[in-house]
Amino acid sequence: MKFFLTVLLPNASDGMVPMKALITVIKEQIDHFYLIQRLAMYEIKSINNNNYLGLAWELLNPAIQLSIYWFVFGYAIRRDEPVEGVPFFHWLFAGMLVWFFVQPALLHGSKSIYTRIKMIAKMSFPTSAIPSFVMFSKLYPHFILLAIAIIIFQFTGSPISIYYLQLPYFLFATVVLVFTINLITSTLATIIRDVQMIVQAVLRMLIYVSPILWVSFSLPDFVQTIMRINPLYYLIEGYRAAFFNHNWYFIEHWDYTIYFWSLMFVLLWLGSILHVKFRNQLIDFL
Amino acid sequence: MEKSVIVKDVAKRYKLYSKQSEKMLDLILPKSFGEEFFALRGVSFEALKGDVIGFIGVNGSGKSTLSNIIAGIVPPTFGGVEVKGQSALIAVQSGLNNNLSGRENIELKCLMLGFTKEQVKTLEPEIIDFADLGKFIDQPVKSYSSGMKSRLGFAISVTIDPDVLIIDEALSVGDKAFAAKCLDKMNEFKKQGKTIFFVSHSVGQMKEFCEKALWLEFGKVKEFGKIEDVMPKYEAFLKEYKAMSKKEQKAFRQKGADLQSAYDPTKN
Repeated sequence: MKFFLTVLLPNASDGMVPMKALITVIKEQIDHFYLIQRLAMYEIKSINNNNYLGLAWELLNPAIQLSIYWFVFGYAIRRDEPVEGVPFFHWLFAGMLVWFFVQPALLHGSKSIYTRIKMIAKMSFPTSAIPSFVMFSKLYPHFILLAIAIIIFQFTGSPISIYYLQLPYFLFATVVLVFTINLITSTLATIIRDVQMIVQAVLRMLIYVSPILWVSFSLPDFVQTIMRINPLYYLIEGYRAAFFNHNWYFIEHWDYTIYFWSLMFVLLWLGSILHVKFRNQLIDFL
Repeated sequence: MEKSVIVKDVAKRYKLYSKQSEKMLDLILPKSFGEEFFALRGVSFEALKGDVIGFIGVNGSGKSTLSNIIAGIVPPTFGGVEVKGQSALIAVQSGLNNNLSGRENIELKCLMLGFTKEQVKTLEPEIIDFADLGKFIDQPVKSYSSGMKSRLGFAISVTIDPDVLIIDEALSVGDKAFAAKCLDKMNEFKKQGKTIFFVSHSVGQMKEFCEKALWLEFGKVKEFGKIEDVMPKYEAFLKEYKAMSKKEQKAFRQKGADLQSAYDPTKN
């Protein structure tokens, strides 16, 4: 337990106030915001430079996945029956929209530090910016996809309403979730490479335990409650409420909102301590 | 003369694990697992502004570890390094992104080094001019030869105008013409009072360019002084080492390795 003890019980000698790491990490994100955005742009370029269709793949991939999921889970299994008055395709699209951002961002985020630290160790920006620029490189395609979704919904029966105002809130919450998890997994994966495998396995499972592909309302209440432990549930339902359900999700489910932000706070707090504690030694773990 | 780099009692410990599970246990349990190995055993020296210091020593003597520590890429386990101003390391593997073009790499690296957009705009043509890659500047770096890569890396590192420059074997891949160009640039740096560290196996290049030499043996400073004083001793050692039988060479290396695993930083 040496590892966890040294992480969680900062020794008195370095005088680390428990909140200090959290503040440091957040401040680093704000101070290097411009640089993080630029690096995210280079990241997008670097990934797509090899393909003939380049950036188009950022949209083609989701389109292919969306159509196959609609065929299996919508057409084949549900006979396209609407979900609480919302056409299944719309319902699915809203859920997948979150997933298309969260899945690659978490996957690439977890490898972000150990694949880049050699190159970045000497640069004048903090290591905590690495998982965050990788996340932002996945956020830009999300914006485009979001715009496309809004246009499609507008002209196929779910027009823009006042409830769209909560979209920025849920977008921000998603960014916080991804950043927090990436900060933890990218640090741990550098120290113990197996963490990367765990992230992959969890992601493969996560799409089925989140309300993305199938409707969970018919399940017993306690099962639904357990499913709500997954913070992604909150975000996906939030996006859907903004698009179709015409309610203020984060106010109506205020207790869920409190749960989500408490969880984020605890994870971000632990993640910051972990990251700040180990960041100077990360290069030795390569 | 003003001091520009102060290295004090620097030791670098690596852990050698025989299997993955040992590494895991070492991380989790309070007991120490795995064998300790000191790549550097209490290295101390001071460099003045305008010094050009060559690191010499056989393979595995700690030259690259020391340059990485001075460059701030790897933290020392014990001891400390003080560098006045900005340092830049130029190595053969200079951390370029293979999927981006040379030009994009220049922009990316300068941004990461903390230059603003405007500064990058003025630096870019200078770097492109120095690297002299012609049309290849807009091709992805993965299509470059190793010489071209090191030229680009070198061009970026010298144009950003560091105060301390560390060159780790980077000139050995370039052609004669480019090496001459680099030496010119470094002589210019020397005149400006920058400190340069030079790691190379080429004794000729070393003698031509360096004023001082730091001889490392098994992670310890064996000799530090004027190149005229140190180099003959080193060459004599090399000659003696080469003359040894295989068995004697092995025994010599074994003795060094034993010293490196038995080192105790608290006693020195």
